[in-house]
Amino acid sequence: MANNKKQFFLVRWFKRMFLGHDQEVRDLLKEEQVQTPFKMMAKNFFHKRTVQVGLTVFILIFLFVTVGPVFFPLDLSDQDSTLINLPPGYSMMKLPAAINGKVADIAPGNTYGIGLDTDGHVHTWGVTRITDKIDLKDIPEEVQNADLVRLAAGSDHAVALDANGQLYVWGNTRLSQNKYSSDMTKHMKNAAKGKTSEEWDIIQLEASNQFSAALSSDGTLYLWGNGNMADIKIRSKYQGKVAKVALTNNEYICLLKDGTVAYAGYKDKGSPFSNIPKDLKKETIVDIAATSSTVAAVTEDGRVYVWGNAVKGENKIPELASPISKLYGGRFHYTALLEDGSVVSWGNNKYHQTEVPASLQGKEIASLYVGNFQNYAVTTDGEVHSWGLKGFLMGTDELGRDMLTRVINGGRVTMTVGAIAVIIATIIGVLMGGLAGYFGGKTDILIMRISEIVGGLPFIPFSMILSAVIGSRLDSNQKMYLIMVVLGVLSWVPTCRLVRAQILAQREMEYVTAAKAMGIKVMTIVFRHILPNVLSILLVSMTLDFATCMLTESTLSYLGFGIPLPQPTWGNLLNGANNSVVIQQYWWRWVFPAVVFGLCTICINMIGDGLRDAVDPKSAER
Amino acid sequence: MGKYILKRCGYIVVVFLIISFLMYSLYNLIPNDPARAQLEGLRSSLKPAEYEAMYQSLRDQMGLNDSLMVRYLRWMGLWTDTDGKTFNGLLQGNFGYSNLFKRDVIDVIVDPMSNTIFINIFSTILSLAITIPLGIYCAVHKKKKFDSATQVVTMLGYSLPVYIIALVFMFLFCVNWRIFPVMGIKTAGIEYANNWEAFTDKLLHVTLPVIVMTFGSLGGMTRYVRSAMIEALSMDYIRTARAKGLREKIVIYSHAWRNALLPVITSILGWFLSIFSGSVVIENTFSLSGMGALYWQGLNNNDFELVLAIQMFYSIVSLVGSLLIDISYGLVDPRVRVDK
Repeated sequence: MANNKKQFFLVRWFKRMFLGHDQEVRDLLKEEQVQTPFKMMAKNFFHKRTVQVGLTVFILIFLFVTVGPVFFPLDLSDQDSTLINLPPGYSMMKLPAAINGKVADIAPGNTYGIGLDTDGHVHTWGVTRITDKIDLKDIPEEVQNADLVRLAAGSDHAVALDANGQLYVWGNTRLSQNKYSSDMTKHMKNAAKGKTSEEWDIIQLEASNQFSAALSSDGTLYLWGNGNMADIKIRSKYQGKVAKVALTNNEYICLLKDGTVAYAGYKDKGSPFSNIPKDLKKETIVDIAATSSTVAAVTEDGRVYVWGNAVKGENKIPELASPISKLYGGRFHYTALLEDGSVVSWGNNKYHQTEVPASLQGKEIASLYVGNFQNYAVTTDGEVHSWGLKGFLMGTDELGRDMLTRVINGGRVTMTVGAIAVIIATIIGVLMGGLAGYFGGKTDILIMRISEIVGGLPFIPFSMILSAVIGSRLDSNQKMYLIMVVLGVLSWVPTCRLVRAQILAQREMEYVTAAKAMGIKVMTIVFRHILPNVLSILLVSMTLDFATCMLTESTLSYLGFGIPLPQPTWGNLLNGANNSVVIQQYWWRWVFPAVVFGLCTICINMIGDGLRDAVDPKSAER
Repeated sequence: MGKYILKRCGYIVVVFLIISFLMYSLYNLIPNDPARAQLEGLRSSLKPAEYEAMYQSLRDQMGLNDSLMVRYLRWMGLWTDTDGKTFNGLLQGNFGYSNLFKRDVIDVIVDPMSNTIFINIFSTILSLAITIPLGIYCAVHKKKKFDSATQVVTMLGYSLPVYIIALVFMFLFCVNWRIFPVMGIKTAGIEYANNWEAFTDKLLHVTLPVIVMTFGSLGGMTRYVRSAMIEALSMDYIRTARAKGLREKIVIYSHAWRNALLPVITSILGWFLSIFSGSVVIENTFSLSGMGALYWQGLNNNDFELVLAIQMFYSIVSLVGSLLIDISYGLVDPRVRVDK
């Protein structure tokens, strides 16, 4: 009854006036109500504020790491060089308000977008930062002032063309992304003087991984950029005949004016794209597109052929309701505009880049822009619909892996290892402690000496040695089991001491004497009669040990002696975070795992403390 | 007392032998052949038969053909060396040869050892100076606001892994406020004018690690002191002392604290060890060249003679530590008779 708060005196007076005296104190039967110790414990336990908070947060985190992997499955081979070190946020397809409704051109880059509005202003959105010095958001003054007509976005540079035939490149220009060939500079100089020519009437502008392409109306293809990475030369027999160009990661294919497709680069047989399907040679091609490692061609009657390294399902073309009129390529997917006006996407769907929104149905599409993992559809009334990769809740790491997925799956591993290690330690500890406590004498001395030796081993160094010596030939999964066993085998000593001390006390109790007198077997007395009385205290130590084991596992993994990468754990996610660049610039790579893990251990300790107070009310006094 | 210490020393020797034997045989599980490694360069220039003969003689010379027990005893210095006359092992001061540094282990260890001791002395003094008064204060003012706040902070201290604390502190002090250097034990490429400058530079570099270490050990220790002190303060003799009209200071520091000291001393044992193991993490995070970092480096580069020597050092520290604790028990608490 002590829980009842004393009410405000006026309230009490009113109550007394209308309802008579307080009943609570007088009801002796209720006061003396008998409760089982377990009920008492549960009540004490759940009535503490810290326990309530700790339990709630822990259950949330527990669900997060147990149910989470269903929604965010871990792919150990997963990595993407275009998504490295992205900050958390969902801004990748968020067009600025200023451009909404008046889109003239959109160039979707890797993780960002550049848009040109009908007034000739350039806007950027998404993750535009390339390095700490280079940011695509810093559009040069001359570009802002120029009367732009076309845009293109590559992996780390952007290209723009103005009405006077001048090209502009900004972003990363360290790998000669802005090094035009000599005839290009000549044409640009002429254009600046007002001389227009067929040779420099740019009808298509494209940019890809460190190289760019411009195509003039007379069929001349200009390529420039990092020639070490990309194929930026064109065979002379194709020059002047190009009608359209499509860039892959570092190669390109051309649609020629006679309706055939040609691989015009210099790699020839070495390139997967030179191997053009035989069927295609008889057909007339109207459109081409490219993903990072495949190319596709659309025939006159609207069928599509895909060739190249189609490892992400780029060649799994769905049943089409009507022929394709236009085709666009992202990084691992294609998006096509059909003749009936609908949009179809296929290929890799990891970031939902092939899920065309239902809201697009029935709308007339004016233009379609497809980039890395992004799709933008502009309808005739100026609305922009986008689908694909918006961003990452917790950012990405140095290999372009989603931190959220890794935090979830890392938590699953860390918690599993911690739990199983605690179970192993408890089993050994209870067995040893039970035997030592009940039998005493020589057994006791022997077990206590063993436990002293094991307890005397410095924990972290010793587990490092075991992991290094035994684990050198094991794979990631076996190493996980090894760590569980090592932690369990090295941390049973406190449990053993606890159980021994408890049993020493319980052994003298009358119920044990009674059990003995009834001729019950010794083992039964220890493990069926005495142990349940020790269980509550054991539970407390298990809870606290769980946190400790998780800490140890993560420390080992952090040092590189626990579970090896790429298998994530809460410890090895922070491996390599201890340099100032990561700490400052890529804060999301250590803050999120640290926060979730810290919260988890704090909550477990809170629950453990609450449990101890509930089991042993005397300790609550402290 | 003397007899007890002697007995314990004997026990330490036995335990040390067991541990060292276990460690030694653990290392022998690793498939490595120093004789072959040494001859690898000559392999192409020799005929196979010649090479084989040379290899075998080198194995004999290195004593690799002997049994595990013999090799262990030889390494320990309890068995004659391969020449059959002299003893040359751990007990004679030969700690082995480090393959990684191409020097004797004893020379490799000296510098890091001094660094580790330098850091640990600071952090130990700092921790004790903070935790004990804090624990006592919290116990005396139990369930007040300050106490509750301390409980929360100390909970953080022992729930968070040290490396997370280190990262947060690095972020605040090195990156955000730029007070301390991020890592290393001295400024790179610096020439010191005098010893004092060298000392201050070193001090500047170890300040943050020491703070992190102290913060990490704060949690457990403060809570321990606090609960021991509360236990002591609830005793009858405290009531008696107060009833006698003793000043509160005397009651707390003379009557209660001396009785609370006993459990505190026990926990220092665990702490004593964690300073060495904890320093593996901290020295790695801050790239300090201490024993922990050396150990890590040795393990990563399969330099097992070095690792074995450090491991032996760790074991001796922990064994001697536990002996010291037991003896100090008797000194602090006259009721405890250790020799019984």
